[in-house]
Amino acid sequence: MSRELLPVATAARTRAVLLDLIRPYRALALGGFAVMVVATSIGLLTQPLLGAVVDLVAAGEPATAITTPVLALVVVALTQGGTMTLGLALVSRLGETVLARLRERFVGRAMRLPLEQVERAGSGDLTSRVTGDVSLIAEAVRVALPEMARSGLAIVLTLGALAILDWRFLLAALIAVPVQWHTARWYVRTAGPLYARQRVAGGAQQQQLLDTIGGAKTVRAFRLEADHTAKVAERSTTAVDLTMRGVNLVLRFYSRLHVAEYAGLAAVLVAGFLMVRSGAASIGTATAAALYFHSLFAPVNTALVLIDDAQSAGAALARLVGVIDQPEPPALDRPKAPRIEVSGLGHAYDEGRPVLHDVDLTIREGERVALVGASGAGKTTLARLIAGIHRPAAGVIAVPGEVGMVTQDVHVFAGPLADDLRLARPDATDADLREALTRVDALTWAETLPAGLATVVGEGGHRLTATQIQQLALARLILADPPVAVLDEATAEAGSAGARVLEKAIETTVEGRTALIVAHRLTQAAATDRVVVMDGGRIVESGPHDELRSSGGRYASLWEAWSGVRPNSKNPLE
Amino acid sequence: MRAVLWRAISGQRRDVVTGAVLGAVHQAGEVMVPVLIGVVIDQGVAGGDLPALARWLVVLAVVYVVLSFSYRFGARAGERAAERAGHTLRMELVERVLDARGGAEEGRLPGALTNTATEDAKRVGAVNMSVMLAFSALAGIVVAAVVLLRISVPLGLVVLAGTPLLLFLGHLLSKPLEKASEDQQDRAAHASGVAADLIKGLRVLKGIGAETAAVARYRVTSGDSLAATLRAARAEALQTGLVVALTGVFIAVVALVGGRLAASGAITLGELVSAVGLALFLIGPLEVFAWVNAQFAMGRASAARIAEVLAAPHAIAAGTSRAPVPVRGSLRLRAVSHDTLKGVDLEVAPGEVLGVAAVDPADAVSLLSCLGRTADPSSGTVELDGVALADLDPAALREVVLVADHDADLFEGTLRENVGGDHPEALAAAGADEVAGELPGGIDGHVGERGQSLSGGQRQRVALARALAADRAVLVVHDPTTAVDAVTEARIASRLRDVRRDRTTILVTTSPALLAVADRVVLLDGGRVTDAAPHADLVTRNAVYRTAVLA
Ligand SMILES: Nc1ncnc2c1ncn2[C@@H]1O[C@H](COP(=O)(O)OP(=O)(O)OP(=O)(O)O)[C@@H](O)[C@H]1O
Ligand SMILES: [Mg+2]
Repeated sequence: MSRELLPVATAARTRAVLLDLIRPYRALALGGFAVMVVATSIGLLTQPLLGAVVDLVAAGEPATAITTPVLALVVVALTQGGTMTLGLALVSRLGETVLARLRERFVGRAMRLPLEQVERAGSGDLTSRVTGDVSLIAEAVRVALPEMARSGLAIVLTLGALAILDWRFLLAALIAVPVQWHTARWYVRTAGPLYARQRVAGGAQQQQLLDTIGGAKTVRAFRLEADHTAKVAERSTTAVDLTMRGVNLVLRFYSRLHVAEYAGLAAVLVAGFLMVRSGAASIGTATAAALYFHSLFAPVNTALVLIDDAQSAGAALARLVGVIDQPEPPALDRPKAPRIEVSGLGHAYDEGRPVLHDVDLTIREGERVALVGASGAGKTTLARLIAGIHRPAAGVIAVPGEVGMVTQDVHVFAGPLADDLRLARPDATDADLREALTRVDALTWAETLPAGLATVVGEGGHRLTATQIQQLALARLILADPPVAVLDEATAEAGSAGARVLEKAIETTVEGRTALIVAHRLTQAAATDRVVVMDGGRIVESGPHDELRSSGGRYASLWEAWSGVRPNSKNPLE
Repeated sequence: MRAVLWRAISGQRRDVVTGAVLGAVHQAGEVMVPVLIGVVIDQGVAGGDLPALARWLVVLAVVYVVLSFSYRFGARAGERAAERAGHTLRMELVERVLDARGGAEEGRLPGALTNTATEDAKRVGAVNMSVMLAFSALAGIVVAAVVLLRISVPLGLVVLAGTPLLLFLGHLLSKPLEKASEDQQDRAAHASGVAADLIKGLRVLKGIGAETAAVARYRVTSGDSLAATLRAARAEALQTGLVVALTGVFIAVVALVGGRLAASGAITLGELVSAVGLALFLIGPLEVFAWVNAQFAMGRASAARIAEVLAAPHAIAAGTSRAPVPVRGSLRLRAVSHDTLKGVDLEVAPGEVLGVAAVDPADAVSLLSCLGRTADPSSGTVELDGVALADLDPAALREVVLVADHDADLFEGTLRENVGGDHPEALAAAGADEVAGELPGGIDGHVGERGQSLSGGQRQRVALARALAADRAVLVVHDPTTAVDAVTEARIASRLRDVRRDRTTILVTTSPALLAVADRVVLLDGGRVTDAAPHADLVTRNAVYRTAVLA
């Protein structure tokens, strides 16, 4: 498949970006960690206190004597609970806040990626990163972070206690370490690539679901349900299979850890046996050592297993950072000119398949130019290049200032209508919105919507007609207020009744702007100052409507096809 | 919601049971470890008995082998159950969304629905793993309790009474968490929905340079989501803290009772050590319970969302009759009122090419939804060969009547896949053969996501080819040539009749090139049919028609 997924960051870059994100929250990080240390240390008092109970009984003290350590145990439990609550709240606050900043930076970066790159990767690639990957990291942040702190501290302190009993016990206990070390290394090596593949499979599944759910109406109309269900099933099965492979890997990892556990425990017991026999240690000490080692199992396993969470979160993180780290495309610095000057322009979406060849075009300030030509001739491509949405492969475009474009592909942003409009100018007042809507003759219907401008539109909301959608697009352009307007088939979707409404709206929209209007409706072309005809990626004709119409070229045949079925439009100026 | 959870579990009962049983064996093994440590100390270390030491170390090794393998295969079964249940739910959701009666997308963003089909399905599936772990933890507690009871009945009873109490409290504590978690998940889903929507509209955003505003919009949503997440995290931290405190108090009680028994000589010092060791061991399974409770809370919230989608009201009621065989393809509308339509009467003969020109595009949309049965008319009936559409199974209906929407998306894949195979005649009639010629890879070239690597007109021609290739007895196309140039449109118009010969075709459009090839055109004005005649006649006799179509 011709898909070219967005990049994934290296481990080093991922770490660096993460540290960078945490830096502003240093105080929170330190505070959270400190509280967690306190909570865990308090918890580790449990064992010595239980030991004290044993000691008191062994010393033959009366039953009432144990009340004090038991009360201390209760105090330990309550304070541990309290500090743990605070510590966990702080740690998740840190984690979640950093995560929120991360996803915001991700979206910020994603929105500025070159369009070609996003489209080559498929928007599912982007969306799955901002949904699946983000929630995966969120999970790790919630669970792994505090656990890591807890078990790390428990291990260090318990090993210390073991060493205090007798250094030889510590030595025996450390027999397990090579096995654990080796296992962890083996796991990281094997699991890394697998997790990366899992994330990719997750993205593919997301893409398919978006495709199928977004196109549900079409799927139903064409009875493609079975086909689409099968596609989703296939991608979901792939994702499930990869997850199960990961599970098998983790379980093998656990098995090896069990081996390490047994080896260490047996070593400590044998050491105890030898030391007791030689009189180097008492039975009590040997018991204590064995129990200490036993109490290490849980935190050691937790810590090693957290590698697992860290791995999958790392894979997800690398996918976010991969996008965040994309070089900001250098600002389109296009030469300034009092008019639009396009020279030697060439473009190709796919390497080696140029769709524009050596295009030259000049549009005077305030001039209205219609761009016409066969479907697939390259009109949209030229329009997009002038609007600065794509970067040209060859040639130069000089513009007088910002260029706003109403694209051939329409989209109504999900949410209140007013919010949709404010995307074009965030600080617009309600009056500005109304004024813009009035100019495209849309205020009347907008105000009669169920909740007026607050009506939720877009996917899942109130459905607008094609004309209304285009009116919105024009209103956005008015709000953005650029000196140059490029309109790509702004009337195409609306049918002729709508087209007339829109033609008027376009008039007011381009008022006072230099305009390039891509049009299949040739009445619209006829009303402009000049018509430019494209064919096969080249400009083949250029001149006023009347001149081209009678020149017997491409435009003449287009006009004939157009006006042949519209007898009264022979000459719109009459 | 309960039904969804229950199905997720019962559907995987074999794996869940296997997992639970093996998990219980594993837990029993874990209980045996501290017990065996005591035995090794007693019989090996204390007596300096090397053969005894060796013997018991072998026994310990066997216990390890058993616990290791039972864990490995038990957990595998549990995870498999979780993954498979998630997959099953995902497929159920997709099937519900694609249900011929529709209605599931109503009020839901595709991004949010996708999130439900991925994250929520996964969370509900994970409940299987929780069930398995809960059962094994319970088994561990029971085995430990039995050992404790054999040491001392009162001590055993304390554990047996205390554990359920602790579990119950844990459950109570997870209640507020459930609400917070539900809210958090809703907002997270909304935030990803917004992100997906902005990404979908990327071209439009770039056109007006609104990337910055879009990012700001996402930041607000992300901030809301963060606030909800922090609320949920605080609730969870509190729950965990309380469970930790309760567990500690429980251990203290065990120490108190056990210590007093030992001090009075009712149990030995060794047994006290074992009892304390076991009480410490119990923290593990008890923590598992706290975790399982939290998992269940999230699982329930997700299950509720899934249940809501699965139970979304259908947009139309399902009839049961099959379409008449063979289909003749006549249509009749009797006094159909729906949205903007006010009593439309219309007859379409089998094989007729009918043009429908609507002055108000809203009338066209209303008519299309009645014909395609994405909605049922509020009054009046639509009949196919004399059978009311409402009586037909909607899926069967769509095998006969195809309404090709104007904004129907292409799908990711090749041109051939989109058109549904090799249909040279349909391709040529729609002018899509040219598209195949221009695409690298020809008919096997990829059209990109939603056909986005095609030009607007190319996409529209491929969509028309797809509609023609489906070769339904009745085809309703809506504005199929708005994005193609006049010459191409004329060519398409000239080939349409031929490719649709003997089949009923309704062209809902205001394009004179298309209307001119129709046998008859009806004019929809103000929600009613106001005139009907061949295009040429309407042009000469009806001024409303002239402005609607020719301007
Ligand atoms: N995103 C893309 N990726 C690859 N090829 C593309 C892409 N967009 C357009 N093309 C190809 O570039 C050529 C020119 O397309 P363009 O959209 O500029 O045509 P157009 O003149 O606007 O046509 P229409 O009138 O149908 O909109 C076509 O052959 C098309 O297939
Ligand atoms: Mg175009």
